[in-house]
Amino acid sequence: MNLEARRNVILSFIILMISVYLIKLFYMQVIDETWTLRAQEIAEKRKVIFPPRGVIFDRNDKKIVTNQTYYNLMMVEDSIVDLDTAALAKLIGWTPKQVHARFKEIVEGEGTYYNKITRKRTLNYQKIRAYPFLKEVTLEEMSKIAPHLSNFKGFHYEATSARNYPYKSAANILGYLSEVYREEIEEDPFYKPGNNIGRAGIERFYEKELRGVKGIKYIVTSALNNAIESYADGKYDTTAHQAPPLKMGMDVELQSYGERLMQKKKGCIVAIEPSSGEILSMVSAPSYDPNLLVGKRNISANYPKLAKDLNLPLFPRPLQAEYPPGSIFKLVQSLIAMQEGVITATSGFPCDKSLVGCHNHPTARNIAEAIQYSCNPYYYMAVRRIIQQGVKRSTNADAEYGLQKWYKYIRSFGLGKIFDTDVSGQRPGLIPNPAFYDKWYGHHAWAFSTIRSISIGQGEVKLTPLQMANIVAIIANKGWYYTPHFVRSIGKKGALAQFNKKHWTMINYQHFDPVIEGMRRVVNEPGGTGKMARLNDILVCGKTGTVQNPHGEDHSVFFAFAPMNKPKIAVAVFVENAGWGGTWAAPIASLIIEKYLKGKVSDPDKEKRILEAQIAFQTAN
Amino acid sequence: MRKQESLTEHLDWSLFGALMTMLLMGLATVYSVAYNEEAPSLFAFSEKYGRQLFWILFSLFLGLLVFLIDSDIYRRFAIPIYLSTHVLLIVVLFMPAVHGAHAWLGVGSFGVQPAEFAKISTSLLLAKYISGLTVKQQNTRTVLTASSILLIPMGLILLQPDAGTFVVFTSFLFVMYREGLTFDPILLNFVNAIPGVRYKETWVGSHFIPILFALLFLSVVTLLLDSVVFVMPFFVTELQLSGSSLVLFGLLLIYVVSWLLMQRFTTRRERSRMMVVLSLGLILAGGLSFGVDTGFDMLKKHQKDRIELVLGLREDPNGDDYNRNRAMAAVGSGGFLGKGYREASVSSMRTNHVPESETDFIFCPFAEEWGFVGVLVLFFLYFFMLFRIIIIAERQRAAFNRIYAYCVAMILFYHFAINIGMNIGFAPVIGIPLPFFSYGGSSMMSFSVMMFILLKLDAQRKDVLR
Repeated sequence: MNLEARRNVILSFIILMISVYLIKLFYMQVIDETWTLRAQEIAEKRKVIFPPRGVIFDRNDKKIVTNQTYYNLMMVEDSIVDLDTAALAKLIGWTPKQVHARFKEIVEGEGTYYNKITRKRTLNYQKIRAYPFLKEVTLEEMSKIAPHLSNFKGFHYEATSARNYPYKSAANILGYLSEVYREEIEEDPFYKPGNNIGRAGIERFYEKELRGVKGIKYIVTSALNNAIESYADGKYDTTAHQAPPLKMGMDVELQSYGERLMQKKKGCIVAIEPSSGEILSMVSAPSYDPNLLVGKRNISANYPKLAKDLNLPLFPRPLQAEYPPGSIFKLVQSLIAMQEGVITATSGFPCDKSLVGCHNHPTARNIAEAIQYSCNPYYYMAVRRIIQQGVKRSTNADAEYGLQKWYKYIRSFGLGKIFDTDVSGQRPGLIPNPAFYDKWYGHHAWAFSTIRSISIGQGEVKLTPLQMANIVAIIANKGWYYTPHFVRSIGKKGALAQFNKKHWTMINYQHFDPVIEGMRRVVNEPGGTGKMARLNDILVCGKTGTVQNPHGEDHSVFFAFAPMNKPKIAVAVFVENAGWGGTWAAPIASLIIEKYLKGKVSDPDKEKRILEAQIAFQTAN
Repeated sequence: MRKQESLTEHLDWSLFGALMTMLLMGLATVYSVAYNEEAPSLFAFSEKYGRQLFWILFSLFLGLLVFLIDSDIYRRFAIPIYLSTHVLLIVVLFMPAVHGAHAWLGVGSFGVQPAEFAKISTSLLLAKYISGLTVKQQNTRTVLTASSILLIPMGLILLQPDAGTFVVFTSFLFVMYREGLTFDPILLNFVNAIPGVRYKETWVGSHFIPILFALLFLSVVTLLLDSVVFVMPFFVTELQLSGSSLVLFGLLLIYVVSWLLMQRFTTRRERSRMMVVLSLGLILAGGLSFGVDTGFDMLKKHQKDRIELVLGLREDPNGDDYNRNRAMAAVGSGGFLGKGYREASVSSMRTNHVPESETDFIFCPFAEEWGFVGVLVLFFLYFFMLFRIIIIAERQRAAFNRIYAYCVAMILFYHFAINIGMNIGFAPVIGIPLPFFSYGGSSMMSFSVMMFILLKLDAQRKDVLR
C-alpha cells in the first residue's frame, strides 16, 4: 500500500472543509440578511415602536377608552457622568436612599443569564442600554423634571401611552392592563418585559385586536452605541400600526347612570338589546373608577384596597353571582307547560296553600293571571304536569322522563352553560337534570315531590343575572335570542360574525303572548306586584322576584322589557338584601328603561329616592 | 555531531512567516475586542492585549530556547516528557474548579492548562513509538499500544472535564492513518474468526478513519436536509424534493460522475473491481442516509431537540443556543468588507453580546470587523500553513519528524475546523481556542512551542540519518 498517497486523503479533507466553510461564510455574510438583522436586534440597534392601543367607542360613538400620553424617565448607566444623587432625588421627590435602591432594582430586575458552556452567570443588565428609571410620569410631573434634565447626563425621557377612561365607569366590563408575566412572554414573542397586557374584561378578551402592530426601526450606531442614522435607508424598518377601534354595543351614558343608581347598594343591572343581543349596560355594584387601575403605580396603590373592600367591588356579580332565580322562572315554566300541552293559556288552578305557601290573591284563572299574582301553587301544579306526564308506569321513571324533557327545554334558553361570547368570567349556573338527582338521591329514587321547589325557581336551580336578563330578551323576542355580547364591530369590518347566529328556543311563537300579557299586568294592572315600574308613556312588561337568601335579608329582583310591542331593552335588576322585589328593583328598572328610551327621567322623586338609599352597604372600612 | 551554525540556517521561512503573520493578526484582534479607551496603550498590562503581547513575547522566547537546544532530545526524552505532563494532568484534577472544570494549574490569571501541553507530549511519544515500528510489526498489540498513548491523556482530560480538548485528541487518528497504523489487525481478528475466511487485509479496516469521517459527514448532511423541502425548477413543472431524497440524488450524481471518470481513466481490469466498490459504496451510503433519517425519527423528543440544536435546525436564541446564535449574528453581520477595525458592535467585549469573544469566540470580532474578505485572507493563511506543514512533513528523512509534523498539522486542523465551525453553526459549542488568535497564555505557549519544535526539527532534518 502506498502510504504517501494518503497525504492526499488528508489534504482533500482539509480542502473540503475549507470550501464548505467558505461557502457557508459567504452565504452568511454576503447573501443572507437574517444574521445582520439579528445582530441589530442583539446590539439593540433597533428600536421597537409600540403603537397606542386601539380606542373603544360605545354604541353612540362616544369614546369610552382612549390613550393618554405619559412619560418614562430613562437612564443609560454608561452615559451618566458625575451623578448628583441628592439633586436627582430632590428633583423627582425621592430620598437619595430610594434612588440607590431603584438603581439596584433595575439591575436585579433584568435577571441573570447562566451560560451552560462557560458555566458563568452573567447579568442581563447592560450599561449601554436605556432602562426606565421612573415609569408613567404624567405630563404635569414631567414638565417640572424636564427643564433640569440637562444637569443629569445619562437621563432622558420617552413618551409612552397609557389608558384613560373619560367616563370613569364600566370598569367591570372594560377590565384593565398590567405588566406581562414571564410565562406570557415565553408564550408570545410579541411581549417584552415591562410591556402591558389586557388583564381582564374587554382589554383581555380583545388583547390581540387592541394591541396593534409593533414597528421596528433599525439604526446604525458606532461601537460606542451612539445612534448615527437609519440602517439601509429604512429598507427593513416596519411602521407601527394602531389597532382599529372597537365599537361596543354598550351605551356608556346608561352604564354611568346605572352605576349612579346603584351607588351605596350592592347588586347588579344587566340590560340587553333583544333584537341584537348587545349588552347595553352591565353594572356590578359597587362600581369603581377604571382609572384607578391604570399603570403600575396606581395598581399597586389601589388594587389591594379594592380587593379588601367588604362590599366586594371586584366581584363580577352579573356573571358570577349564581342565584336561585325565583319568580322569573315561572315565566319559563309557563312557556314549557304550554309547549308540552300539559296546560293551555286559559288553564286555571286554585291557589292551594297546602301544597306550597303563597300570599293572598284572587284565583288565577289563566296564565296571565298566574303571572300577575305570581301564584306559587299554580306553578306547583303546572310543573308537576310537565314532570309527571304519566308516560311511564313507575312514578320515579316517569319523573325521570319528564325532567329530561324539561331539561332540554331549559337548555334551549341558553341556561346551565356559559355563553360562548366575549364576556369573560361567566359562571354556568345550575340546571339539574336526571343524572344530577340520581347522584343525590339514587337512580329512580326521586319524583316530582322530591324536586318540587324547582317549579317556582327555588331549590337546586341557579342562574346568573346575565342569564336571567337573557330570558327576558327571549320573551321580548318571542322565542329566540342572539348570544349576549359586548363588542359590535372592529374597525370597518362590520358586525362580528360570531355573534350573528340566531338561537331558537323550543317554544313556539304563540305561547309567548299570554306570558307577555301577564308581564304587562304585573306592572300596569291594579294588584300587580311591579307597579313601581310603571311609566306614563312607555308600556313596560315586568316580573318581580324575591330571591331567598339564607344569609340575611332577601334580594330584591325585577325583570322587565319595554316597550311591549316593539321591545328595545330587556333588563334585569338585582339589589342585594333589599327585600321584596317591587320596592327597590322595580323602580330602578323603570328608571333604566326610561333613561335608555327617552334619554331623561320624568319622575325626579323616584330617582332621588333611589340615589339616596343605602342598602346593606358597608361604609366603615 | 553537529557543527555550530547560525540559528536561522535551514529555517523554513515561509512557515515562520505565516506563523508571525497569524500572531500579529491575533494580537490586533485581541486589541480590538478588548479595547479600553482608558488604557489605550498596547503595553498596558492591565488590559488583555497587554497581557497577550506579553504571552506572545514569552512564547517567542520559548521558541528561541527550542532553537538553542538540539532537536534530538525530543525523540530521546519523549517518554519522560509524556510522563511529566501526565503527572500534571493528574495533579490538576485536585485543583479547585474554575468554571466547573479542573483544568487550571496555578493562581489567578496566570494559571496554565496542562491539557494544552499534553497535546505536544502525546505527539512526541506517538511519533517516537510509530517511527520505531516496521510494517511487519503492525499487529493488534502495536495498534492497541499506539491507541493507549492517546487514550490515557484523553481519559484524564475527560475527568476535568474538557470536551473540546478531548475531541482534539481524535486528530491523532488521522496521523495513525497516514502512517498505515490502522485498525485493520483488530478487524481481521474478527473477520478471520469466521470459518473459511482468510483475509490479509480488509479495505474497511485500512481506511477506517476516512470512512468514519465520511459516514459522519453524510449523516450530518442527511439530518441537515431532513426537514427541508427544496423546490427545483424542472422543465415545465416544478419538482418538489424532500431533503433526504436530495441526498440520494447527490449520491447518485457522484456515482455517475465517478463511473464516467472510470470509463475515461482506468483499464478494463481495474474497472470491474472498482465498479463493485463503487456500487457497494452507493448502496451503503444510501442505506446509511435512509437509516439515519428513520433512526432520527424514532429518537425521543429531548434527544431530537439536542441534535437539532447542535445542527442548527432549531433555534433557541436565549437558551441553549445563546452563544452560537450571537456568534453567528456577529459573523453574519460582517458583510463583504466588514464593519472596520475596532467597529465590532456585537462581539466587542464592551457590549458583551458574545460571551468569550476574546478567547473561544475570537473569530467573531475578526469576521465582523474584516468581513468576508478578511475571512478569505485568514483561510488562505491557514490553508497555507497546513499545506506547508504537510510539505515539510513529507520531506523529512526521519519518520519521527514526519509523524510529529503530521500531528501538528492535524491538531491545528482540528482547532481551526472546530473553533470556526462553532462560530458559523457547523460545530457544537465546545470550548477550544483558535490557535495564535485566542487570548490566553497556555494555548499561546503550547501552540508556539509546538510550531517551533517542528521548525527546529525541520531545520535539523539533514543531520539525522535514519
